[in-house]
Amino acid sequence: MSLTSLALWRDARRHPWQWVLAVLGVAMGVAVVVAVDLANHSASRAFGLSLEAVSGKASHRIESAGPGGLDEGLFTQLRMAGIRPSAPVVEGHVRVAGETFPLLGMEPFSEAPFRSHLPGVLDPAVRELVSRPDTLALGRGLARRLGLEAGDSLTVTAPSGRQVLSVGAILESPAPGVEGLLLTDIATAQVLLERVGRLDRIDLILPQGADPERLLAGFLPPGARVLETGAREQSARQLTRAFHINLTAMSLLALLVGSFLIYNTLMFAVLRRRPLLAALRTLGVTRGEVFRLVMVEAAVLALVGGVPGLLLGLLVGQGLVHLVTRTINDLYFVLSVTGLHISPWLLLKGLGLGVGAALLAALAPAWEAARTRPREGLRRSGLERRVHRLMPWLAVVGALLIAAGYGLVAASQGLVAGFIALFLMIMGYSLLVPLAVWLLSRLLVRPLGFTLGITGRMAARGLAAALSRTGVAVAALTVAVSATVGVGIMVDSFRTTVQGWLGHTLQSALYVTSPAPGDERAGSLLPEGVMERVGSLAEVATFSTGRRIRVASGHGDVDLFVMAPAPASYEGFRFRAGAPDAAWPRWQRGEAVLVSEPFAWHHGVSLGDELTLFTPRGEQVLPVAGIYQDYGSQQGVVLMARGLYEQWWDERRVGSLGVYLAPGVEVSAGVEAVRRALDDLPEPVLVTAAAEIREASMEIFDRTFAITHVLRLLTVGVAFVGILSALKALQLERAREYAVLRATGMTPGQVTGLVTLQGALLGLAAGLLAIPLGMMMADVLIDVINRRSFGWSMQQHVPPAVLAEAVWLAVIAALLAGLRPAWRMGRVRPAQALREE
Amino acid sequence: MSDLPIIELQAVTRRYEEGVRSRLVLDGVDAEVMPGEIVALLGRSGSGKSTLLNLISGIDLPDAGRVIVEGRDITGLAERERTLFRRHRIGFIYQFFNLIPTLTVAENVALPLELVGRPDKGEVSRLLEQVGLAERGDEDPDRLSGGEQQRVALARALIHAPSVILADEPTGNLDAETGAQVMDLLTRLVREQGATLVLVTHSQEVASVADRIWQLADGHIQEARGAPA
Repeated sequence: MSLTSLALWRDARRHPWQWVLAVLGVAMGVAVVVAVDLANHSASRAFGLSLEAVSGKASHRIESAGPGGLDEGLFTQLRMAGIRPSAPVVEGHVRVAGETFPLLGMEPFSEAPFRSHLPGVLDPAVRELVSRPDTLALGRGLARRLGLEAGDSLTVTAPSGRQVLSVGAILESPAPGVEGLLLTDIATAQVLLERVGRLDRIDLILPQGADPERLLAGFLPPGARVLETGAREQSARQLTRAFHINLTAMSLLALLVGSFLIYNTLMFAVLRRRPLLAALRTLGVTRGEVFRLVMVEAAVLALVGGVPGLLLGLLVGQGLVHLVTRTINDLYFVLSVTGLHISPWLLLKGLGLGVGAALLAALAPAWEAARTRPREGLRRSGLERRVHRLMPWLAVVGALLIAAGYGLVAASQGLVAGFIALFLMIMGYSLLVPLAVWLLSRLLVRPLGFTLGITGRMAARGLAAALSRTGVAVAALTVAVSATVGVGIMVDSFRTTVQGWLGHTLQSALYVTSPAPGDERAGSLLPEGVMERVGSLAEVATFSTGRRIRVASGHGDVDLFVMAPAPASYEGFRFRAGAPDAAWPRWQRGEAVLVSEPFAWHHGVSLGDELTLFTPRGEQVLPVAGIYQDYGSQQGVVLMARGLYEQWWDERRVGSLGVYLAPGVEVSAGVEAVRRALDDLPEPVLVTAAAEIREASMEIFDRTFAITHVLRLLTVGVAFVGILSALKALQLERAREYAVLRATGMTPGQVTGLVTLQGALLGLAAGLLAIPLGMMMADVLIDVINRRSFGWSMQQHVPPAVLAEAVWLAVIAALLAGLRPAWRMGRVRPAQALREE
Repeated sequence: MSDLPIIELQAVTRRYEEGVRSRLVLDGVDAEVMPGEIVALLGRSGSGKSTLLNLISGIDLPDAGRVIVEGRDITGLAERERTLFRRHRIGFIYQFFNLIPTLTVAENVALPLELVGRPDKGEVSRLLEQVGLAERGDEDPDRLSGGEQQRVALARALIHAPSVILADEPTGNLDAETGAQVMDLLTRLVREQGATLVLVTHSQEVASVADRIWQLADGHIQEARGAPA
């Protein structure tokens, strides 16, 4: 270590707490970034592996356009025609002990070329066991979780109802993607998933460059098509992309707040060591060398904080991955993440981001240090005067950045552009903070002076007097708290909108659905005879029917909701485009479809556009007669009249009933009557009051945003460390001032009160300033996250509680951070403080 | 003028722990100051001059001995009582002025009055006028020159009419001419108020304004010039 570095290092050792706090800030910032990255990556990798487990090495797949799947005879035809390797697959979901698991039915003898990379699956013993009827195989980890051993029985709830299977084999060390899967042979899967004689798809490995359409010409029945396997993965990844980007943006916010902390620490260190730096300059240390010294210091700080940050990130990541998986399971698809996937690259990236943020934050302090003149250290008042001169210019640049942010939002529709705009606005607003703090300080001097006397005036003026420090501390806390406000308003607006939507969309008093998990293509189905039994009840006035299936369209696979509405059902739809009076008759006649708002957004569909659907009767083209509000599906749905569906798909079964009760019948009595009527069906059904569905939906909604709340808290945690560091720095600088006050006759209690009041004012300033920024953030978040990611429009709803929460959160954080410094300053020994000058 | 001393030091001892070493700064000091007197305290750096002022004001306590001011043994008072005693009875002037940067000039002067619970803007204006800064009351202290800042500190030390003024090298940070002006002002105002002044200085010239001069060396006070008859 050079002597110059040694001089700085020894100086740093005299003020360890300031560096410890900065290290803590870096560690927390890096930890949040790494944790989110790891959770995202682990979920994404688990998704890739499970897809690989079920898709294997297939290059193409043959699928049916309709929910019925393919006739299994097609597989035999292909084999006989020499089109191989080929393997039939039946897949769906079953429920075990309240959890949903993917079920893969395969034909072991055709599997070798496709899934040979999955160790254990193709062992002869496993093959034999799996070939036996009503037998399944599963991984050791899952078996342990469910308490199963080979030979045990297992009850599953499948589309065919409750079935008892035997555990034929346990795969000792399956590939990660197989761990969450239940494996059976084709015949067992066909029975469980009610697809006897049918296949969901046929996997193919076609020679490179082969034209699948030409190769398979003459084999494909109407409604069947051949697809590249990558397309499916792409569309599923697209689904969760927005979710992962949102999380990443939240984690970067924590890093940004951490950077403020690094800036504050280094700037403070530079100012405090001004005489030392001046002495070094006198001895011939150049400006460039001083600049480098501070930058190296920042890099060391970032590395020292970054390494424990990585470890902390691993710990937090363990918790986050469960939240991320739960959200994906609630919103997107069944995903089983068996553990955190730690890649060295991710850790390196986290550390790199931490060091990068620290170096950026260190630029200004290093520049300030390099300006030190030999022989004379600039006094603090000199720096403050410069900050005051700079303040209007910072505000102008800030305003320009905010305007640029809004401009970017208006000019671009992209999700990433939206987040860049958001960060521009946050940075811009941070530059406005010093001016705002100065104004607030001026504003508070009189009222505080009037109520608290000279102590109040000193506390208020203190805000503006050390603007170089308070400005940054307040900016850090403002950004952190504004995230609370922004996300709070966004979630509340969303919640209020969804609540309203659930209120009007669930027009029926109760709903009848199947408890069995739905097949991906055919959806859940009610047993035969439900409609007749419900329709004959005296308590029931009428009912609507619905069924959700996945069909192929000109826009890829889309969700089709087939509906036979009751007269009151129409009230449940709010149109965003199109006139209900004109649209409904066309829809009822089968001349048009309606699409939900997210569908229109994601597929760029407007009123009057034509939609191509691949049906068992060939390609059908229908115009879009209306676009309606819907928050039930992120990708959106196409709404089709039941008559038209039956005509094209030749399908009669329904997935759900919406029951309207006769006048005077209580909902509970209605539920009871319907339950009694359906009690002796061979398969159980669920009868649920609309209110219960509303409640359950809101529960899922709240669970979805749990991770957001965790990230908010972590960000506030980083800011808390920031404000603690700033207050401690301020107090160290003002120790002499407090000593003079004590010498003049202020009691320890009065000094403690003054310091506490200053802390509270910092918090108050941050809390108040967080409100406008939070509202701006909410504006962009609603636009970016809800509209750009999901296509959901909504009214901004500003709950006063969220605004009040921001202010008290900031004040409490600042007061808590100020507790110990205030206590210590109250007990400062004036003789010693005055002697140390 | 009372015949009883306003400040009595009885066998006052104070030592500082410096690492593993212990440094004896005051070694059983006995001394008295009469009301209205101006006493100058001379001595080398680190000889304990400032320590002595801190002990008289009660912001520091001796390791042994008693400090009696206006008949009260302040070494026996609790921290809060010593603070309140200081608030009412002591005025402080420092070498580096130590004005509160977050208060204006007038507010700095008003601070002791507010602390004793009798704010009086008229008195502040009067005193600022006496120190020649009547027009600068609304300014921030760091806008003033060194001499002006010390005059503000002087006004702050006198505004609540304390019985004892303690000045720690009040001219140490000023040029000779400004220092002389400040000393003139200080002694004039102290005499007018009938206060007692204990003045720490390195300068014989500054010390010449005093009634008595004490030399502090090796932990003991020696009277360099006695009280006038």
